[in-house]
Amino acid sequence: MAPPPSLQVNLSPAELSFIRSSLAQTPPIRLDHAKGPKDFRSMRAECDVLPGANGSARIALEDGTEALVGVKAEVEKSQWRPVPGESARLTAAGEVTMLDVDDAADKDENTKGKGQNSWVEISVEVPGFRDDDALPVFLAAMLTETLLASGELKDRLYINNRFHWKLYVDVLLLSPLLSYPLSLLSMTTHLALLTTRLPALKSEKDEDPLFDDDWDASVQLYGKERQQIEKPPVIVLAMAVGSNIIFDPSKEELAVADAVLAVACTTSANSGGRIVSIRTVDPPSHLTPPGVPNAMNSATGGKVPTSSADALTQRELLSNSGVWTPPRGGMKRSLLSGIVKMVVEKGGVAEEVIEALQRVEIG
Amino acid sequence: MPLDTSTYSLALLRLDGRRWNELRRLHAQISTQAAADGSSYLEMGNTKVLCTVSGPHEGKAGGAGGGPRSTQAKIEVEISFAGFSGVERKKRQAKDKRTSEMSHTLTQSLAALLLTHLYPHSTITIHLSILSQDGSLLAACINAATLALIDAGIPMTDYLCACTTAAPPTSAETEAGGDPLLDLNGQEEQELPFLTVATVGKGHAVSVLIMESRVRMEKVEGMLAVGVEGCKRVREILDKVVKEHGKRFA
Repeated sequence: MAPPPSLQVNLSPAELSFIRSSLAQTPPIRLDHAKGPKDFRSMRAECDVLPGANGSARIALEDGTEALVGVKAEVEKSQWRPVPGESARLTAAGEVTMLDVDDAADKDENTKGKGQNSWVEISVEVPGFRDDDALPVFLAAMLTETLLASGELKDRLYINNRFHWKLYVDVLLLSPLLSYPLSLLSMTTHLALLTTRLPALKSEKDEDPLFDDDWDASVQLYGKERQQIEKPPVIVLAMAVGSNIIFDPSKEELAVADAVLAVACTTSANSGGRIVSIRTVDPPSHLTPPGVPNAMNSATGGKVPTSSADALTQRELLSNSGVWTPPRGGMKRSLLSGIVKMVVEKGGVAEEVIEALQRVEIG
Repeated sequence: MPLDTSTYSLALLRLDGRRWNELRRLHAQISTQAAADGSSYLEMGNTKVLCTVSGPHEGKAGGAGGGPRSTQAKIEVEISFAGFSGVERKKRQAKDKRTSEMSHTLTQSLAALLLTHLYPHSTITIHLSILSQDGSLLAACINAATLALIDAGIPMTDYLCACTTAAPPTSAETEAGGDPLLDLNGQEEQELPFLTVATVGKGHAVSVLIMESRVRMEKVEGMLAVGVEGCKRVREILDKVVKEHGKRFA
């Protein structure tokens, strides 16, 4: 997807070239020079900010971008779907009631595979954009995709054969678009889902659901008692410049990226970090204007190329001269595996980010 | 009317335990967002509103009408309801009539309040996000907008403060009527006729007065008097917030 106009920066080819060459150094010098390649922008995070939502969180980054996420759950009637073997199960209903379903692990087993993707709905609101503009729709699709990827969440929304929870996740970007918001929105959604609570179910089996009105008795969607459950995924942005990998790039840094990856990762207590999905994001650097080298500029004693084919060859020859040319092509395999490794390794980016967000909940 | 009209007359305490002339907890912050020219966050009980102001900036090129260039700043108010703001999750359309009436009211009252003639050919955009609604929505929006405009440093004559009042609940014993209720929450708003009033400054200068429900003529005066008193109290609280914020730079 092409980046929206507000994400394009007004930097001259000379400035772009300068930023790129400093980022391509070893070690890279970032725009905020106190930061290493794996450092994220500092943030202020709060959770459980809205009394009317099942879960909510707000994160403000140091550059002023701010996002708020509210999660609301509603009980909805499930559509009846014929399942093979259904009639056999109905006749054996007497035996089914004998089963002990108190154990949480057993319950998880019972609901396995019964969830549907449509039970989670994510909408993204970005100021200055319509609901059906490309950017909000793309961001919402990315967030939904990563959330549903493991297939565990939707199964937990199952109540009984006739009812289920419908989870509405409303993502609001409160500030104007200052940098590519994907990782901020995803981190806020993560935090909101961690705090989400659903009322405890009192009814049994296929009765109309009746809930405990004591909020203290409610169950967490991603509870601490369910240690084996994977945390909701977080999307981190990683970009490649030359042979360097830089995480959480700022708007200006994105403008010189060779390639940008959105990596959705999650962690669980027993298996450590895991990649849920990877997508490439079209960086705004593809649309930056190229610089004109002296050799091609008649004002500086150069010769203007006679045809566009000629111009192309000359540019090709000058590609390493330091004159800014928008990067083309994708990402090298070695870089890709480098990013994956940096995300999932022990103490890597995935664990670091998710642990940091976990601490917000406690504090 | 199962709600408070039945028990109210016994102890004269409302559902949330307040007396007739008590405001809910009013909490406000200004300069909440670094990226905006001015911003504020305001809570009136469980009604929560976030306001950002950008401008005065050059309006969109070839803007509305394209007539002779204005000598005053244009004020634009956008109101967006978060999907999770109500009890039920509901997406509210931007073209909703109620929403556009609210933004019209804000635009009109702020146009009279701000010294717009100082900024010809420019636009001031006010964006209000409603995060949680529990009554007195318009009043909360007006108060939040005032704070955000102060934070943005846009010259204005005085504070514009708003609150709501309802006609006293009637029952068999108190046919003569009790005192009007101040600062309604969502439940009270649904069952009592109420009005929203906003005043400029410390005096009695009423700038906004909106009532959408029917009420007996003789009750209006009392409601208005209580509302104006409430606005004064709101003004004191907002003034404290602004001064508190200013101390940080002293």
